Order: sequence, then structure tokens, then C-alpha cells
Amino acid sequence: MWKFDTIRSWPKQAIFYIWACLSPAAGINMHEESPDISAHSQSLAMPEKLTKEWVAANRIPPVRRESDLVLDMTRTRLLDSAGAALVHLLDRECRRAGSRLVLQGIDRKVQATLASWTKDMPGEEPEAEALPGAALVALGEQGLAFAREVTTALSVLAEILYWGTFGLLKRRDYRRGVLGEQMYQLGYKAIGVTVSLAFLIGIVLSIQSALQLRQFGADVFLVAMVVWGMIREIGPLMTAIILAARSGSATTAEIATMGVQEEIDALRTMGLNHIQFVVVPKFWAISLTMPVLSLLSTTFGIVGGFAVSMFYLDLSPALFWSELTKNVILKDFVISFIKSIVFAWLIIWIGAYYGFKVKGGAEEVGRATTASVVTALFVIIIADAIFSFVYNIKF
Amino acid sequence: MPSTQPIIEVQNLVAKYGDKTVLHDVSTRIFPSEVRVILGGSGCGKTTLLKHIIGLLKPFSGTIRVFGTPIGDLDSPETTDVLKRVGITYQNGALLGSLTVGENIALPLRMHTTLPESIIREMVIMKLSQVDMPHAADLYPGELSGGMRKRAAVARALAMDPPLLFCDEPSAGLDPVTSAGLDDLLLRLREALGITIVVVTHELLSIQTIADNIIFLHKGTLLFDGSLRDARALTRGPLYDFFERHAEDSGSDAAATSAPGGENHS
Ligand SMILES: Nc1ncnc2c1ncn2[C@@H]1O[C@H](COP(=O)(O)OP(=O)(O)O)[C@@H](O)[C@H]1O
Ligand SMILES: [Mg+2]
Repeated sequence: MWKFDTIRSWPKQAIFYIWACLSPAAGINMHEESPDISAHSQSLAMPEKLTKEWVAANRIPPVRRESDLVLDMTRTRLLDSAGAALVHLLDRECRRAGSRLVLQGIDRKVQATLASWTKDMPGEEPEAEALPGAALVALGEQGLAFAREVTTALSVLAEILYWGTFGLLKRRDYRRGVLGEQMYQLGYKAIGVTVSLAFLIGIVLSIQSALQLRQFGADVFLVAMVVWGMIREIGPLMTAIILAARSGSATTAEIATMGVQEEIDALRTMGLNHIQFVVVPKFWAISLTMPVLSLLSTTFGIVGGFAVSMFYLDLSPALFWSELTKNVILKDFVISFIKSIVFAWLIIWIGAYYGFKVKGGAEEVGRATTASVVTALFVIIIADAIFSFVYNIKF
Repeated sequence: MPSTQPIIEVQNLVAKYGDKTVLHDVSTRIFPSEVRVILGGSGCGKTTLLKHIIGLLKPFSGTIRVFGTPIGDLDSPETTDVLKRVGITYQNGALLGSLTVGENIALPLRMHTTLPESIIREMVIMKLSQVDMPHAADLYPGELSGGMRKRAAVARALAMDPPLLFCDEPSAGLDPVTSAGLDDLLLRLREALGITIVVVTHELLSIQTIADNIIFLHKGTLLFDGSLRDARALTRGPLYDFFERHAEDSGSDAAATSAPGGENHS
């Protein structure tokens, strides 16, 4: 696909204008008799009807350096926009190659048609790579754009945190039952899928580990592995992944749609803060439900591990229980809780940020939603890695 | 003008949605290189008439010929051939939101021709230059203003060099300056390319500027079909009321332009 990026970026535009002022005026040479055609010019006979059919059926004539191209248009009586496009394209290529395009014996009417089609066209597209320093400009622009994105994202986070806490004291959101509704939508409805997936993953993990442990007769260590794995890692992480896919995407889609339909503008002009109105209920809903969901999925994952140790490794329930209580310490639960809260905030932050970013039409909503989910998953897993690292530092 | 063949011929068209008759026995003929304005209050059946002419809707009774070919099913090869020679802009713009403006314009060229990509690209810029937005090829329709979207729609309608162009309310929802620009554009196109243009509108100013002939629809009945001058000469009836009411709305501007507008026509 081609690029004519002169509208969106002013530095390129400025360069374009300077270029346009310096370059000779655009306009196609239309000589009936051209006295000074260079010696090694090539001449091509044009058909009577220089139209789409002809242009599509014939090869575009190659333009050679320092060799004028003569189009013999004596016979041509009809020209459509494809024909005009061909002439314009050849003219530009000739200029670039330092030669000229000559239209020989062109009929007055055809000439008028050609002019009416091409007179408003920009003389030549600025060649981005030919401009000195264009790469630097592009790099700088990208850097600026990135910095802007980061600033916006951080300001969304700051606003969420402010309006979710101190802002609530200053001005209450008077819609009744909105928090309950959001907790139901974002949290309660996710219980089924989270819990059943956790249970299955608990089973799968335990079976894989049991296969190894059995070889060494170390069956009893399975309990510690499953319990640690579920509490510290799988429980919060899996819940976060499911909520990012379910609730994060829904948040982006909802906010983006509101933006497209100018609902956000309406809110702001009515004196309501859009972050407070739209995001804060979701923020609290997910902050309250996420730890619960995480705990639930941890529990069900451990139940899965218990099932495997009972039926596959023949550990007694009493042994499982005593191993469990021996290995679990409060710190594990604390870290699990902190993780799930941080993940919840990441999900709502990223979801909201991508939602507010949508400025254009409806089709952008889908794109933003996809981007939001992918980013959320990526960031969550990075955050999880950081947690594992910090957790294992000995204080 | 009467010596030439009509480009569009509508005979005794009756149109219904279910049981509701929307057009009662409409007949008219439109000739090459004229600008025909279809006038009427909202809901009187203007869009319905247009959609019948281009075969999007099937007549309850009556026949429609475009370029001498009877319009039938949209899938039939004859109708498809006719529609390749017709450019249409819809009331709501109808640019495809998932494509850039450039890709929107290139779409009919890619579908109907085997032109090389470099020529298509050149033509896209050419069409966009004709509507005064040569640098908009890479923007998405969502990034355009209302007036730009309308003009981009005209550029797409012109992609295949149609000898016949339909515009459904091109200036609806636009400010007077932008809509005057659009009128200018239509006139320039007619002058440069000699195309026939059928415009649905209710903007009096616009009518004064562009119309050669007008059709006036009132509750699905064709009440007037003739030159703008004849229409202005009326002293009573619904069309006279229509002009009067709108003249008051648009104030002295309309009155000032009405004289040359009427004179221009021959
Ligand atoms: N798809 C449809 N189904 C039923 N009735 C319709 C439909 N489209 C239009 N109508 C009715 O037909 C009448 C004419 O509509 P239309 O041709 O769109 O009017 P306008 O002159 O404003 O373009 C209106 O009364 C409208 O309610
Ligand atoms: Mg309509």
C-alpha cells in the first residue's frame, strides 16, 4: 500500500512546502511540433481510444534516463481518467529521470480533457527517503508519539486512582446499584469459567509432576508443589488472564463505543467526570471481586491436585492435609492477594486507556479491543515475572 | 435537447413498501448533460425513486430504462453493465469504514478493471484532486469531517468515469459554505466531463445554482417536471409554497441569487 502522509505530520508537510516552492511549476509538456527532442528519444503511437481497456491491456512504457519519451497522440480522440493517469504518471517519471514527456500532435479537445483531469493534481509526491534528515524526523516523531502515549496512559491511571479514592469524597456518583451491577458483570459472571479452568489446570499440573516425582519415590512432595504453584502463581495469574479477556475487553469496547457515539463528550459537558462515571465503578468492582475469584480458583486448583494425589498417587487425605498446612504460610496468601489486586488494576487501567484512545469510527472499536487484550496479557505476564523475582529475594 | 435520446426513462412507476404506496405513477425522462434536481419534502419518496432507478428496489409496476437498457435484477449482467457506468453517492456517505479513503476509491477500479497498481494509484489521487482533497488518500473515513466525507464519496462515485452521477442529498447536514462548495464541484464536473447529474436535495440555494431542470415530488406524486425557470414562474401550488417557504428561511441571499440563477438556464 502506498503512503501520502502529508496531512498528519507537520514536519513532513513543512518540508513538502519548501520543496514545492523550489521545484519548477508542474504541467505537462504538450508540443504539437517539438523542435528540440533529444537524439535518443523513443516514440510511441497512442491508440484512438486511450481508455481503461487499452491501459489495462498494454504495458506501461519504460522511462529511460536522459531519453525523451514522445507519445504520438495524432490518432487519439478519446481519453478517460485511466489514460490521463498514464500520461501523468509517465510525465512524473520522465521528470524524475531527467528527461521529458512530449505529447505529439495532440487534439485540442483531448488536450482540454487531459488538462481538466490533471490540473488540480499535486505536481509530485515528495519522496520521503530523498529528503535530507527525513529518517531523523520520522524517528523523532515516533519518539514523541510514544512519549505522548505513555503520558496519556499514566494520566488515565492517575485519574482512576484519584477519582476512585479522594474524588469519591469530593463528589459522589449518585447512580444507585452501579457497583453491584458491575461486580455482577465483571466478577460473578466469570466465576464458572475461572473455577472450572483452575480445577482442570490443577489436575493437569499434578499429573505431570506426579509422573516425575514417582520415579524418585518423592510422591509426598506433590502437595507442596501444587499448593505453592496454585497459591503463588496459577491462581492469580489464571484469574487475571480470564478477566483480561472477558472484562478488560468489555471495558474497552464499552468506553470506545461511548466515545464514538459522543456519549463521553456529553458527560463532560454536563459537568461529570467521565473517568469517575464510567471507570471508577468498574475499578472498585474488579478490585473487590478479583481477590475473591483468585482465592476461589486457587482452592479449586488445589482440589484438582488433591484428586490426583488421592486416585493416582494413593496419598491419604490426612497426609495431604498435614502436608498442606505444613507448607502454606501467611506470606503466600499475602503475595497472592497483592498480585491479584495489581493484576486487577492493570486490567482496568489498560482496558480504560484503550477505550478512551478511540477517536474515529465504529470500526476502530474492534481494533482497540484486540489491542487492549493483547497488551493486558503481555503486561500481566511481565508483572508476574517481576513478582516472582522480587518474592525470591531474601530480605 | 429533445432530439437526443433520454439517458434515463421512467414510465408509470408505482413503488410500494408492503401495502404502502410510496410513488404513484411517476414518469419522467432525463437527457444527457443536464443537471436534474429531484425536489420534495422529507419522506416524499425521493430516495425511493433514486433506488428504483439504480435497481436497488424493484418497481411494483412500470418500467425504468437507463442508457436504453431496462433495469432488472441487480445480479443480471445487463444491469451490472449499466451500473458500472453510473456513479452514486448515498445519503449517509456509505464509505467503507474499514478501508482508507484511497482504498475506497480504488475498490471499483480493482473490481472492474485489470489496471496496474501504479495507474490505479494515480487515478485515486486524480479523483481526490477533483474534489479538492489530494492528500486524504491515507486517512480513514472516521478521520474526515462531514463535508470531506461527502466529497470523498463523490470521488469514489467518479472512480469509473461514469457518464451519469446520482447524488442523494449531497449537502444534507452541511454548513452553507461547504454545501456551496459541493455545488461548485458538481458544476465543474459537468463542465469538465460533460456528465449527467441527478441530485436529490431540498436546499433552495443549491437548486438555484445547479439545476437545469427539476422534478417536484409531493407525497409520492410527481407534481412538476420542467425547467427551473418555469418552476420559478409559478404563482401558486405546492411547489410555489415550497419556494416561498425556503426563500424566507434562507433570507436575502437566496433572493439575490435567484435572478442570475433563473437567467442562466436556456
Ligand atoms: N425500507 C422501508 N420500508 C418501509 N417504508 C419505507 C422504507 N424506506 C422508506 N420508507 C417510507 O417511504 C417513504 C419515502 O421514503 P424516502 O424515499 O426515503 O423519502 P425521502 O424523500 O426523504 O428520501 C417514507 O414515508 C418512508 O417512511
Ligand atoms: Mg432520502
